[in-house]
Formats: sequence, structure tokens, C-alpha cells
Amino acid sequence: MLDTATTAPATARGRSRLRRASRLVQYAGFLPALGLFGVFFALPLGLIVAYSFWETIDYNVVHHWTFDNYHYFFSVSTYVHTMWATIWVSVIATALTIGVAFPFTYWLVRYVRRGALQRLLLVLVILPFWTSYLLRVYSWLNILGDGGAINRFLQWTHLTHHPLSFFLYDRPAVILVLVYLYFPFAVLTLYASLERFDWDQFKAAMDLGATPRVAITRILLPQIKPGITTAVIFVFIPILGEYLAPQLVGGAQGVMIGNLIVNFFTGAQYTRGAAAALLIAALIVVLLVVFRRSLEVEDPYRA
Amino acid sequence: MREFEVVSPHARLVRWLLGSWAAFVYVFLFAPILVLVAFSFNANQYGTFPFTGWTLHWYGQVFHDYQIKDALFTTLKISAEVTAVATIVGTAAAFPLVRSKLPFRSGIRIGMTLPIMIPGLLIGVSLLVLLTDVFHLQLNEQTAVIGQSVYTTPFVVLLVAARLQGFDPALERAASDLGANTYRRLRYVVLPLIMPAVFAGALFAFTLSLDEFIITLFLIGAHNTLPIYIYTQVKFGITPEVNALATLLLLASLCLILLAFVLPMTVRRVRRLVRA
Repeated sequence: MLDTATTAPATARGRSRLRRASRLVQYAGFLPALGLFGVFFALPLGLIVAYSFWETIDYNVVHHWTFDNYHYFFSVSTYVHTMWATIWVSVIATALTIGVAFPFTYWLVRYVRRGALQRLLLVLVILPFWTSYLLRVYSWLNILGDGGAINRFLQWTHLTHHPLSFFLYDRPAVILVLVYLYFPFAVLTLYASLERFDWDQFKAAMDLGATPRVAITRILLPQIKPGITTAVIFVFIPILGEYLAPQLVGGAQGVMIGNLIVNFFTGAQYTRGAAAALLIAALIVVLLVVFRRSLEVEDPYRA
Repeated sequence: MREFEVVSPHARLVRWLLGSWAAFVYVFLFAPILVLVAFSFNANQYGTFPFTGWTLHWYGQVFHDYQIKDALFTTLKISAEVTAVATIVGTAAAFPLVRSKLPFRSGIRIGMTLPIMIPGLLIGVSLLVLLTDVFHLQLNEQTAVIGQSVYTTPFVVLLVAARLQGFDPALERAASDLGANTYRRLRYVVLPLIMPAVFAGALFAFTLSLDEFIITLFLIGAHNTLPIYIYTQVKFGITPEVNALATLLLLASLCLILLAFVLPMTVRRVRRLVRA
């Protein structure tokens, strides 16, 4: 939009000065974003890094470099246990999410005719993603909780007299809700890559004698691998820092590292909380760096 | 040909299985929401099973609760400010992202989407530390606006950038050949073309801000937005009033999002009609 063509009658010298100016001006649009993300995103994240290596003495943060916060975190077995549990829950929830989403997306792309119907079915999946995250977790409380639909129904039909805690307020409940929360993410990214796949290649493979299974594993999967990686990463990362789902449906058993971090910060233990937060952030950065080449960043609503 | 005949009964089974799987997925996605909506009309004062009759009583309570009214005003105020910030900053950033000769373009792109990708919890706590411990600010609506803007702006960037990418640069060159200056090109060529995306971006930002929970929880201080209010109620269990409030909030987000999806399409269609 800022090319120099406007200045057609300008002198050569004026033109070159303008060109130099416009070379800088073309980046001007970044300035507000640079301010916003620089001061309120990059700076605070950097601060968290620094805090995690500083000390809290009498509720004051002292700029004294130390590994104490990390030592402390790894010396408390509950914290270490929670960290491993978080990683496990994230792995299982991600696997289940992709496991549910892949056959669904495959069906959507392969068996629903391209056009209005396919778009509508896709939008229906994405729609819950745009509604309140809090309410989507809360809606499960209506079903799973002590006073939730399942327990009330069991009591009402006199199958049991006390609320069952089996499956409710436990890790399986957290995983179920996490799959529910991040399912649209997975479908969206998988759809983006499946939609681009050339199904004629699939037919060609079958014509040449491949069984459907061979055609899927040898032709389809290798080509949509970047899409699957992206889906895995995009689901796994937010689950790592999940706070609300374990808080509302997890009970004492379902605690994840996000809950620990919140407890540290609400308890004014900023430096210890920063260390715990940085453990997650570091894991995320490692994942992003390792998989950066296979990530496909698309706009979030290409429906 | 023979092979297809051999495969075909099997293929029909696969098709049927996948179709049922899809049906299951839709039930899984919408059942909790429908249960919530149903319970908001349930006369049962515990807000859950069994269903003892239809009532609008809980909605009446929602409309007469002054705490909810306060929270609603706070939410709308914050969302309006966040939408303004996100739309302006995001649209401005989309231009150089698409147009300029950018080193590390994909890196910058991923960097821009980072606030969406990393858990909101990290944005919330890190901003909490910065604003209270370094800037010594009092937590209030303004600090919540800052946090939500960081999270919503990338959505606007992505939407507007996508629109800019699919837009013929020759149109602008033609405009400048015809003597339009930078302002006129922007005003009469670029803005009208990207307006649907900007508007959709604004609607997305507004909806996200309306529903934002985790960042706001850390930055709102003593105030309440609707999600924070619901959270404080929900911690002590389900109430039918919250079910009614939740239903209203879901309805509001759904309407806004449908508008955001439909609006760009409608604008295009209307333009085509006008031109024809």
C-alpha cells in the first residue's frame, strides 16, 4: 500500500529519499503491536524467567540469582508427582482428542459432499469453541458433579442412595472435559490438511491394487503428517497449562500443574510460582522449536 | 472392477461406522450444552435432575440480580475497550505482515500467534507480576483490558492478514496510476475491501473478551465480569440461576459468532447484487 508509485513526477533524488522513507514506513503498522506485545507479553514473560531465578525473602522479591525455586519444586514430591501427572493427562487427553477427531474429520472430508453441507457441519463443530470456555467446563458439572444429572438420575431411580464419586471428581473426568474442550482445535487443523489432500491419489493407489488400509497408511497419512503434528501440538500445549477443568471437575485427585501455579501466585509466592510456570513454558518452547518446521499456522476460522 | 465388488460391502460398513461416529461426536459436543439449557428452565430448585416442570423464574431472578447487572456493565465496558484496541492494533499489524519485505516472516507470524497458543494462565500470572510488582498498579478494569487485548489481537491479525493476502495488489497500483494518494487509496480501495474481515475480527475480539476467564481472573482485582461472577457462584455448586445466566451468555456468544461468520459473506453477496 505504500509503494512509491504515487510520486511519479518527483525528482530522482526526492524519489530515492522517499523510497528509503517508505521502506521504513512499510513497517509502521507493526508499531502498536510491537508496543502491546513487547510491553505486555514479551516483557512479563521475561520477567517470569527472572523471577524464577530470584528469591522471596519476607514477601519481598530480592534480585539475588539462585536455583532455589527449582530445587524447592523438585524437592516436594507432591509437586513432582503433579508435574508428571500433568504430562500424562496431557498426553492421554491429546491422544484421545486426535483419536476422536481424526475419524470424524476423515468422514467429513471423504463422505460429505463438498459445499454448503460440509461447511455447515464443520461450523457446527467449531461453534462451541467460540462460546464461553468457562461455561463449557461448567456444563459438564451439570452432568458429572455430585449433584449432577448422572448422580441425581441414579438416586432418583433408587439405583443408589449416595452420590457416586466414581468417574466424577477424578482424573478421568478431567480428561473427558479436556477432550471436549480441545476437540474443535483438532478438527480444524486436521480438516485444513485433509481438505487439501488429493483423493485421486487414493483412488490411483486402490486401482493399482492397494487395500484401503495400505492406501491410508502409505498414501494418505504421510501427506497429512504436518497437519496431524500441528493438531497434536495445538491441543497438547493449552492442556499443559489447564487450570479450570481440573479445578471444577477434577477434585483433589485431578490437580494439574496449572492449579499449583495459581496457588503459588495467590499465596504471594511469586518466585516459586514463576519457577513452576517456567517449567511449562520451557516445555512449550521446546515443543515449538522441535516441531516448528512441521507446524502449519492457518487462520483460525477458515470455514 | 472385480476388486471394488469385493471391497464394496466392507466399504459400506466403514461408511456406516464413520457416519455413526460423526453422529456420536455431535451428541458429545452438544449434549452438555443442551442439558444446561434444559436445566435453566427446570422448576427444580437444585438446578438438576429430576425435571419437575418448566419455569422462567430463574431468568426473572437473573434480570433482578444487581450483582449480575454490575458484572454485565463491567463486562461490556471491558469488551468494548478490548475490541477497539484489538481491532486497531491487529489491523495495523496485518498490513506489514502481508505486504512488507519481511525477514523471518513465518517466525514473526508464529510470534504473533503465540499469545493464542500459550496457556492463558501464563499470560495472566506474568502480567500480574509485571503490573503489580513492577509497575505498582492497582488491579482494575484497565488491567483486565490490557491482558485481554494481548490475547484477542492475534485473532484480528490473522483474520485481516488472510483477507489482505487474497486481495489483488494491482487494484491499488491502478488507483495510484489514476492519481490517488496514500490516504485516498486506503480510504477508497483498501479499507472497503478489507472491511468485512476487520468487522469479523472485531466481532471475534468482542466475543472472546466477553467470555474470557483465566487472564481476567488474575487481572480484574476486586471487580467482577460475568464469567468471574459465574465462577465464584459455581465453586459452591450448581444453581438454577447460573444455568439461566449461562444460557443467556451462550446465546449472546452464538449470535455474535454467527454474525461474524455470516457478515462477510452477506456483504460480498450484497455487493455483487448492487454491482449487477
